[in-house]
Order: sequence, then C-alpha cells, then structure tokens
Amino acid sequence: MMVSLLKHATFGQKCGGLLLLVLLAFALFGNGLAPNDGAYQDLDAILAPPSETHWLGTDHFGRSMVARMADAIRLSFMLGVLCVVTSSIIGVSLGVWAAWSGKKVDAVLNVFVNILLALPGLVIVLLFAAIVPGSFFVLYLAISLVQWVEYFRVVRAVTKTTVDSPAMQSSQMMGFGRWYLFKRHIWPAIAPSVFTLATFGCATAILTMASLGFVYVGMQPPLAELGLMMVELFPYYSDAPWLLAEPLIAIALLVLGFHLLGRKSS
Amino acid sequence: MNPLISVDQLSVYSKASCLVSPLTFNLHQDRPLTILGQTGSGKSLLAQAIMGLLPDSLRIKGKVSIFAKTLTKQECRAMWGKELVMLPQEPWHALDPLMTSLRQVRDVYQWVVGQTEHTANSSAMKALTSLGLDKSADKLPGELSGGMAQRLAIVAATAGGASLILADEPTKGLDVSRREEVIRLLQDKSQGGGLLTITHDVHVAKQLGGDIMVIKDGQLVESGTVEQVLSNPQAEYTKLLLQAQPSEWPIVDRDPGYFAKSDRIMQTEALRLVRGGKTIIEDLSFTIAKGEVVGVVGDSGCGKSSLGDALLGLLPLEAGSIERFDKKAKPHQWLKLYQDPPSAFTGSVSLATLLDDLVSLHGVDQARIRPLMTRLSLSQEILERTCLEVSGGELQRFAILRALLLDPVFLFADEPTSRLDPITAKEVTMLLVELAREQDCSVLLVSHDPDMIRHTCDQVIDLS
Repeated sequence: MMVSLLKHATFGQKCGGLLLLVLLAFALFGNGLAPNDGAYQDLDAILAPPSETHWLGTDHFGRSMVARMADAIRLSFMLGVLCVVTSSIIGVSLGVWAAWSGKKVDAVLNVFVNILLALPGLVIVLLFAAIVPGSFFVLYLAISLVQWVEYFRVVRAVTKTTVDSPAMQSSQMMGFGRWYLFKRHIWPAIAPSVFTLATFGCATAILTMASLGFVYVGMQPPLAELGLMMVELFPYYSDAPWLLAEPLIAIALLVLGFHLLGRKSS
Repeated sequence: MNPLISVDQLSVYSKASCLVSPLTFNLHQDRPLTILGQTGSGKSLLAQAIMGLLPDSLRIKGKVSIFAKTLTKQECRAMWGKELVMLPQEPWHALDPLMTSLRQVRDVYQWVVGQTEHTANSSAMKALTSLGLDKSADKLPGELSGGMAQRLAIVAATAGGASLILADEPTKGLDVSRREEVIRLLQDKSQGGGLLTITHDVHVAKQLGGDIMVIKDGQLVESGTVEQVLSNPQAEYTKLLLQAQPSEWPIVDRDPGYFAKSDRIMQTEALRLVRGGKTIIEDLSFTIAKGEVVGVVGDSGCGKSSLGDALLGLLPLEAGSIERFDKKAKPHQWLKLYQDPPSAFTGSVSLATLLDDLVSLHGVDQARIRPLMTRLSLSQEILERTCLEVSGGELQRFAILRALLLDPVFLFADEPTSRLDPITAKEVTMLLVELAREQDCSVLLVSHDPDMIRHTCDQVIDLS
C-alpha cells in the first residue's frame, strides 16, 4: 500500500510529504533542542538572537523560541488533522447518502448545505470563537462545521454519476450489497478528490486558526500559537526581525507542504 | 493525368517503433480509394500524415505530394477547406454544440470562401435546402439526429469548395439505413475531385468502388480494385474480414418447433414505454421461451435499449404488463450485458478480484471457471489486469463469463459488439449465442444491424 502510494506520487507530492515530515518531526521532538520548556522565562536573555543555547533565539519574555515554535506547530498539526478527519467523515457520508438515497434526502440536505454556504465561513468561525474565546475545541468544531460542506458537494456530484453508471448497475444486478458497491465503485471514484480536498482543507484550517490568533480572538496567551506569536512579536520587528520571521516561515512551509501534497499531476 | 495525391514510401514512427510501414499509392480524380482495416491498424495516422495533422511526437518518412507538389505543413494548411478537407471520425463531435446548423455552414462561406455575410447566409441556406436540412437550420447539433448531424458535418466541411476529401470512418456509429445516404453524399461532393475513405466496413468499400487497400497493423495486406479484392481475396486477413460481415455469418438455426414445446419464461402484454415525454414503444406484446434468442432491431433512438431495461425492471412501464414465469430464478439471474464494456466494470481492482467477489457472494463452483474461460478463449493472464488494461473484445467475453457463472435465465445483451471490430464482434456474438443455448438461457439481443439479428436469432422484434 505505502509502496504503491509512493510510486504513484509526483515529484511535487514527494517534496510536500517530505517537508511535512520534517515539520512534524520538529513539532514532536523540537522541545528537546531547547534548554527549558516553552513557558520558562530566562530574563537574562530577552530578545536574544539565535545562539548555541537558544537555537532560534528568545522572545520578549525570554522564552525559548525553539520550544514555542515546536508547541505551536504541533498545535497547528493537531487542529488540521482533527478538522480534516471530522469534516471528511461527515462530508463523505452525507454526500454519499444524498446522492444514493433518492430525491427527498438529497433535497433536504441540499437546502441545509445551501444555507451554510450562504454564510461566509470565517464569520461562522468568528462567531463561535467569540462565544467561547480561547477554546481549542470550539475552534475545531467551528472549522469542521464550515469545511465539511466542500466534501459534501464534491462527493455528492461524483457519487451521482457513479450511481448511474452501468458498472454499478451491473454489480447491483449481480446481487452485490451496499457496502460492496461503496467499496468497489463509489470509494475508488471519490477517493482522489477527497484526498486533494483533505490536504487543502488541512492548510485552510491551519490558516484559519492563525488568522484568528492574529486578530486576537483565537487561542489566548500564554499558549504558543503561530498567529498569536506573529501579533505578539510584531512590535519587535526592527529589534529582532528573526523572531517575527519564524512563525511566518513556519506557516508558509506548512501551507506549502499541504498544497504540494494535494497537487495531482495534470 | 497526374494523381491528386501521390504517396511514396510513407511511414509513420513513434520514437523507435514503426506504426505504419512504408506505403505507396496514388489517388486519381474521380476514382475513389478506400483503405480497409481494423481499429488500431494505423489507418487514421495515414490520413493525418497526408493532411499534415500528425502530432509532433510522431515522425514521418517518405514523400506526400498533393496536386503533384510536395507541400510543407504551412502550405498544406493554406489548402485546408478550399481544396483539401478531412472529415474526422464521428464528425458530429466536430460540430460546435452552441452554433445553429445554419451558422456552422454560413461561417465557412463567410470566412473560408470570403463571401459577404449576406451572400454567405443565402449560400448556406441553399446548401442546407439541397440536403433537406432547411427545416433544421435553426437547430443546434444536439437537437439533430445522428444522420442529420452527419450530413450537416459533411456540408459544413465541403462548403469551402474542397473537392479532395479524406473521410475517416464516415459511417462509424451510424445506423445501417443511414450509411448509404452518407456514402452517396460523399460521392456527390467529391465529384471532379478525389475521395480517400478510411473504414472498417466492407459495405462502404463495396459501394464506393474504385481502388482498395487492406491494412493490418500498419502493414499493407492486399490492394487492387474493389471488385477484384472483395470478390476474390488472396490474403487470409481479407477473407477473415469479409467473413466477419454479419451478412456472411453462418445462420445459427434451431428447429422452429423446438420452442413450442419448451416453457415460456416471460410474456409482455400491450407494453408502452415513454422516454423524455415521448412514447417510444406502443402496444408491444410478445413471449420469450426458455433458451430462445430474441433479436431486437431498429434505428438508434427507437427504444431498443429501453425495451430491454424495462424487461429487467430497470425502467418503469407506462402501460401494459410483464409477467415472469420462472418463479425459481433469483433476481441475480436476470442480467444485462452492456454496450461499452469498459464502462460496465470498475477499474479499481483487477478482474481476478471481481471474479473472486462474485464467487464468494454466490458460492459459485470454482471448478467451472477454468473450462468456461477456455471456451471463451480468455487467458489466465488477463485476470491480473484491470478492465482498462484489456481490449474491448476480451472484456466483453469476460462480462459473458461473469454472467454465465450465475446461471442466468435471461440475458439482455445491449448492442454487445457495436464497439468492437467486425472480426471480434463475430466471435463474441457467436460465442454468446452458443453458450446461452447450452445453458438454456434466453437472450434478448439488441442490434442496429438487421443482418446480425437475422443470422443469430430465433425470434425478431422489429421496432423501426
């Protein structure tokens, strides 16, 4: 399975995967590179440039940036993956259900989805974030709620053509059950699109959390979060430009990695 | 007299492999030349090479001269439409789906011939009227029937005044009754010029007359005048091609009294079917006996496939009734064979997996598979591949294998061979009829070719 996946991957996808693996390794083991954890304040070394003890320098409270960056990237990964898993499961199951279970289900689900689509996604997320500020769980819930709609639309469209295809009709006439039809016909048809949506969705979720952090309604200090770090370190851009650059580069690399991974060969 | 097109030792290469081996021929005025061969034999490449349309990835060797001049691609392009024209395969795909019939033709008069808009309009109208298309002048290609779209495509292609026509499979996908019309039109349009036709249909060659070249795998098999080659073929391959024409098939007949004694399997009473708000079948009653092969003929769009779908319960009836007598048969013993084999299989897994799925679902005896595969001349290797990696003929035989393993009582074969080459089509149809008879399975065979139905079926339902 893994081998065949690697064989079919394009050069870009391999680069994206490698980039994400490196970031993930840093997120998991980056704390080991720091002398203390991300909350420890070394008041003798405030806004210190990168050195042997503090590889990425220290911030305005003397906290080790290596540890904080690792924490922040780990949080981003967690949110991205959680959102993708949740929204894809909801979107795919509802999409298949709508396309497969006749006009009534389809109509009801479509009305619901159109209502969701009429509301701008960021506004819903902001609304949730405003109700319970600083809650990771609510943020995750809000982003998933916005994102499953994409999966639903795509999966429903592809499933509709598959359900009408002679191939599926033929299997149905031979007496195969619903699970079999899903496994052999529908899933192979939707899987590539779902994968692409998932990688892009991951990037979008991470960006959304960072945007909310940047406007101060997402995660709250002292937690390390990429968007929040940007706004916290913004005042020191002339004294310690490398500090501001670190979260910026990290988020750019994350998004780039996911987009490379999702890009299929044309 | 100089030949219009003279081809000298022309060959087409893709990297190292040779797709068309060196060919030499001349096309003379008012003497049609037909190139006959199966799909994939390199016929279309030849036409593209003459037109200067070959993709850059392919190389040609040899010389092509048109009107006794060797032309560069640019010079060739300048002649398109005015003197030299190519009708692509299934020309209705070459029509603009968003342009009315009149505009398709008018634009040629206006932009290729250079008439003013007003004159172009009346010229186009005149051209359409001469072919009885004047009533369809404001219709879009999607609203035309296959035959009308075909005529329109020919009118549009020749409106520029070209009399040297290269026609690539001009009758592919057309009903038998429409074929002659198209051939006559082609003859008419190429008068005073030349006509090079590429086809797999022996009928087309016969009607056009003139010279013929038989090609197989890019190699010239036989050439000469049509009368000489078709009435007295020398090469083995030409003989095979001729025998594969449905009118030459052996008649598989059974004693007419046979079915009087056997059980009925299905009876329809005053059937009425509606599709898209139009009644396509009205008051149709018939009985199918066990093991009987029933042929359904008619032009495309007459409801042949809908009839089969209705019998299988895939399409609701507007009126009438269908009664099934075999109460013991399970739902999965009423099956269908599809027109386009690749679309009837999932490409996600290998054929072996599909077969295993079926075996485990219905507890089919494994020992039956191998002998049946041998009967259908399916090799074991094809099981390792997916449906996209085997040929259409193999896949259709695999579909028959899958169906027969379930001991069907009724099989609806919806033009099972219309996408296959004549030789393969004959093999597949013959096998299907033979095996169905052995298993005492009734077959509803739908085809647009009356000859095929007449030679294989016990009962014929004519819907035209």
